[in-house]
Amino acid sequence: MAALCSEFGDLVQIKKQLISVISLCKERGLVHSVKWASELAFALDPLPKNELPPPAIFTEEDCQDLDAFGLAKSYFDLKEYDRAAYFLRGCRSQKAYFLYMYSRYLSGEKKKDDETVDSLGPLEKGQVRNEALRELRVELSKKHSAGELDGFALYLYGVVLRKLDLLKEAVDVFVEATHALPLHWGAWLELCNLITNIEMLKALSLPDCWIKDFFMAHMYTELQMIKEALQKYQSLIEAGFSKSTYIISQIAVAYHNIRDIDQALALFNELREQDPFRIENMDTFSNLLYVRSMKPELSYLAHNLVEIDKYRVETCCVIGNYYSLRSQHEKAALYFQRALKLNPRCLGAWTLMGHEYMEMKNTSAAIQAYRHAIEVNKRDYRAWYGLGQTYEILKMPFYCLYYYRKAHQLRPNDSRMLVALGESYEKLSQQVEAKKCYWRAYSVGDVERMALLKLAKLHEQLNESDDAAQCYIIYIQDIFSCGEQLEHAEVSTALRYLGQYYFKNKHYDEASLCAQRCCDYNDAREEGKALLRQISQVRDQTETSSTDLFGPLSSNNTPVRRVSPLDLSSFTP
Amino acid sequence: MASVHESLYFNPMMTNGVVHANVFGIKDWVTPYKISVLALLYEMTTSKPIALQERRRLNKLILPLQQGPDLTLGQFLKTVGECFLHSITLALLKDMEYFFATLPTPFRAIDSEAYKTSVVGLFMRHMLLAYNKLSFSQVYKLYKALQQYYHSQFAQPGVSPVGIPGLAADNTDMDLTSTEDTMGERMEKDELDTTPLHESDLSRGPLSQKQAEYFLARQAYLLKNDENKALKPAALQDELNNMLKFNPDFAEAHYLSYLNSMRVQDIFISTHSLLHYFDRLILSGSEGKSNGDEGYGRSLRYAALNLAALHCRFGHYQQADLALQEAIRIAQESNDHVCLQHCLSWLYTLEQMKGSDSSVLTEDSVKMAAHFCLPYLASLGIQSLVQQGAVQGKTAHELMDAMKETDILHWKHSLSELIDISLAQTTSIWRMYGKSTMAQQQAQLLLNMSSLEQVNFGVHQNNTEAFAVILCHLAELHAEQGLYGAVSEILKHLKDQFPPHTQHAKLWMLCDLKIQFDRAMNDGKYHLAEPHVTAIAALNKTEGLYRKALVLKALNRTTEAYSILQRLQLYCEKTKYTEMIIRVMLATAELHWESSGFATALPLLLQALSLARQHHLQALASETILHLAFTQLMLGVPDQALGVLHEAMEPVLAHGAVMDKGRALLLAARCQVTIAGAQPDCQRHAALSLAAQTLGEAAAYFSMLDCKERLRDVHYLQARLHHTLGQTAERNKCAMLFRLLDQELPAPGAAVAMRL
Repeated sequence: MAALCSEFGDLVQIKKQLISVISLCKERGLVHSVKWASELAFALDPLPKNELPPPAIFTEEDCQDLDAFGLAKSYFDLKEYDRAAYFLRGCRSQKAYFLYMYSRYLSGEKKKDDETVDSLGPLEKGQVRNEALRELRVELSKKHSAGELDGFALYLYGVVLRKLDLLKEAVDVFVEATHALPLHWGAWLELCNLITNIEMLKALSLPDCWIKDFFMAHMYTELQMIKEALQKYQSLIEAGFSKSTYIISQIAVAYHNIRDIDQALALFNELREQDPFRIENMDTFSNLLYVRSMKPELSYLAHNLVEIDKYRVETCCVIGNYYSLRSQHEKAALYFQRALKLNPRCLGAWTLMGHEYMEMKNTSAAIQAYRHAIEVNKRDYRAWYGLGQTYEILKMPFYCLYYYRKAHQLRPNDSRMLVALGESYEKLSQQVEAKKCYWRAYSVGDVERMALLKLAKLHEQLNESDDAAQCYIIYIQDIFSCGEQLEHAEVSTALRYLGQYYFKNKHYDEASLCAQRCCDYNDAREEGKALLRQISQVRDQTETSSTDLFGPLSSNNTPVRRVSPLDLSSFTP
Repeated sequence: MASVHESLYFNPMMTNGVVHANVFGIKDWVTPYKISVLALLYEMTTSKPIALQERRRLNKLILPLQQGPDLTLGQFLKTVGECFLHSITLALLKDMEYFFATLPTPFRAIDSEAYKTSVVGLFMRHMLLAYNKLSFSQVYKLYKALQQYYHSQFAQPGVSPVGIPGLAADNTDMDLTSTEDTMGERMEKDELDTTPLHESDLSRGPLSQKQAEYFLARQAYLLKNDENKALKPAALQDELNNMLKFNPDFAEAHYLSYLNSMRVQDIFISTHSLLHYFDRLILSGSEGKSNGDEGYGRSLRYAALNLAALHCRFGHYQQADLALQEAIRIAQESNDHVCLQHCLSWLYTLEQMKGSDSSVLTEDSVKMAAHFCLPYLASLGIQSLVQQGAVQGKTAHELMDAMKETDILHWKHSLSELIDISLAQTTSIWRMYGKSTMAQQQAQLLLNMSSLEQVNFGVHQNNTEAFAVILCHLAELHAEQGLYGAVSEILKHLKDQFPPHTQHAKLWMLCDLKIQFDRAMNDGKYHLAEPHVTAIAALNKTEGLYRKALVLKALNRTTEAYSILQRLQLYCEKTKYTEMIIRVMLATAELHWESSGFATALPLLLQALSLARQHHLQALASETILHLAFTQLMLGVPDQALGVLHEAMEPVLAHGAVMDKGRALLLAARCQVTIAGAQPDCQRHAALSLAAQTLGEAAAYFSMLDCKERLRDVHYLQARLHHTLGQTAERNKCAMLFRLLDQELPAPGAAVAMRL
């Protein structure tokens, strides 16, 4: 950590580096890297005039190419890529060479997209390729082996390789690119997309630069190692990037991923204050608002985003969430569809649309949506879970097991899948498996606090009264300790059962305590009273010599000082 | 994040993520290859002077060319013959529009082969329609593709790119000319094409819907009927993955992938593909009523049923049971009797596989199936009943009657698959009863019968379980007759037809092992037999245990053998495996002999005999009688023994294995000798010479099997007999034979007299 601080100590130096890389990227048309670096630079204090970095040195070649480059860049900015490439073909400088190759690449991509629309047939659609890629690869690989590529060209080479599905080579080239030009965020981001597990990450040798910490934090988020990611981001904030909206949004997303809703909401609100016209990540924000059922806030957000830009995937998702929260599921589905039209690879929208169809009881459409989501990303646990739910609704508990199992595989520590699995097993009368699932759900931290209750009921059915009582006890403790009042009815059933259980086992003190607690709940009041009466009767019989004959109320005064497993005295329901 | 990133650099309107199936209802489209086919058809219809033979050949080619995947021009020319096309292709390259305009319109040409309803006409209409639908840029793209298609054939690396150019030069004045096609670029392209990257992609284009359907149908058919002719599992999976990558909504491909992974026993992929298929099917059927006969309610039921079948195949009986219950419940809820019947027939199959008695269920199933007019299920049920009946000892004529009735049903409804099964079952039943001739005849009947099913793709259906069963029976029958050459040939055929990873391979594996084991045991090479036991046990536990007991017995480890046999008998009595019970009893009796407990063996043998008779197991009954006779002989009642033996002699000689024949004759000779010993001298001579003759016959049988140990015994006895009879020459000959064998073999394990 000390090393980190010292590295970040010189924020001025970092700012200088950022400013120079911004101008470099700008010249080359790498707009997204420019955006990222600018955002970061904005978060740092402005430099005094004399500290400003000098403009990049002009080489002889640069001078020669100046006019051609200027012309080509203007064509490039107007998306006339072929034209730009044509005028750059004879240039010698590195900068011009990059722009030359980059325009050829983008031209290929553009043509590919255009062709997708009118390809010859549906089966050929997937076949449409960027024809320029292969030529680019040959040329770049020649230069690469000759060692003539600079950081930007290496990055482009990596992108070409990735597009050709040569992933291993792509990783190597991207690593090389980060060494050559560590400040180019695009290369890091590409690398991030190619790394699939932590071992792979550890095996890479990356340049030792302050930007590496940003990369590692981003990587940890992608690999769902949220704790490590949060730690990294925290240290970045402490190092002086506290104003960066990028970091705030990343932390918020991380909190969202571990379902720490309050933290995430707070951060998103802060983000909106700092950057009110931001659209990125707002769909995540709306998910959080949805989960908390915060209608007015969600509605405000939706209004705001529509004003900014209504043809953005994020906007459509937010509106979809808004309608969904208002139970207007048809409209919600419509907006998710629109989001998908804007970007068919938008994974979240497919899943959300599936949920909407589920609400509309249109199971087949829901299945279709979920299947699409899985197609886009096989690791989307929500889609698998949704498929499971669909089949559960269709009353096919065995069939849905497969889907729940898949979801569980992807999120081994998510109690919801485990509870769903348990329920399916219970329906199939596979009590042993069901018990295992519920218990595991409780052990990994039950979100909905239903697992124990279900486990207890299962034990009850199987006449395993000790186990059932134990589960009820933990359940009640759990419910009271979490502070919130969730389901009174279920607490009352637990208390009712425990009362009867203690009564049967002749622990009258505990039984009467439970019975009294029962009386706090409407649906169990009568039973509680009846039980108290029974207890007093029994006590009368056994302890006729006993002093008090006050009936039910007497047990109220009976001090319960024996070590009872159910110590509720500290909680007031 | 990935999605956001994807749009970082490029056009956010990119649509190559998800492809909607068949948005425009296009089933087929024009590709350069299709144009070549069109050109061929054009030539064939317009220019008449083609030799008749040549014409016939081409006519035969038309259909495969139309349906098959796209070929490169080189391949295409190789199949068609170089002579055609060259001129037409050149013309075509000059002006594609003109070519399509001059194509004989199927609507006009009434008398030609290209009339609108003919195969050719239909194809032409498809193509014309598809071509007319193309937008300008698509036409341009097609033209470019056509050019490349042509050049890739004629611009071989040997020919310099400048060489083609008769054409390239002409190109310039065409309406669809490419201006960028500069020399330098072409050089570069050539260079590119020599790099190994993406070579496979280059050679084959994507399949059109039609082609894909044809491909799937063909592969599925081959998988069902002759797996060896289908693509190798890995190659097929590659092909399917490829197809699914381009069109994930092509549900049938998922089903084929399920079948394919079943071939290699891959439960993960097969489950995945099956579920995926039904998820997709539910989509496509969603227009129908939600829960009615059609629509996706129906596919839900069958989805569950198929899942049950899958678990059944992998032997997960509990899972299968759960899935089946689910299917039954859904089917009941929606009153789908047909589905219920299918469920029921799976239910009894499952019960049977689990080893419990399911005849009541089966009977119900048959009745209901008959009621709902489902002949397939009904006769499947009857066959299953017959099988159970045979095991439970129903009388033979009842079974055969039932088989005959179902056969009539099969022929009436042309259920060729069931006919095969029925024949295989009859073979098995005859074999069980010990009538080897009848079994052989039935087996040959199936093998020589021409199937009812029409022959598609030039493949007869011959990789069903029925064929495997029959071939195994044939192998075993031949082995019994000592024709090991034939056996190895049959097994080789089985190995080719049912490769080891396939579903029915276990049948021949077991059969092969059994034959080898028996052979080793007969030759007295117990150390060779022993390793087979483990292999057999892996395939069939009961059989393995039994064989283990046999080996232990032969190695004189009596106690172990006895305990195993006891265990086995208990188990078999529980599962009602009568054949095995009898065999176990016989083995136990042999154990008793070794401790000279002939009297104790007797009740056991009688029990076995009554069991065998009760179940009409003639072969086993004869075997038991042999044992009985031997016991009696050892107990000193050779007259009785001979009398009993005569009862068994006829069936043994008629149907028995060569080994049994030899043993029976040897035993008979020994009885005769013993009886002769008690007779007055005058008769003794005749009796002894009779015995010597019997021994000679036995020796002949044993020598057929090359069973040296037994031959040695026989020669010894022969020598003794001839000695008694005073036939010195014969005696010396036999003695010499004995001596030769004795030197070759190790000292006898068990006393000669103590063995049957």
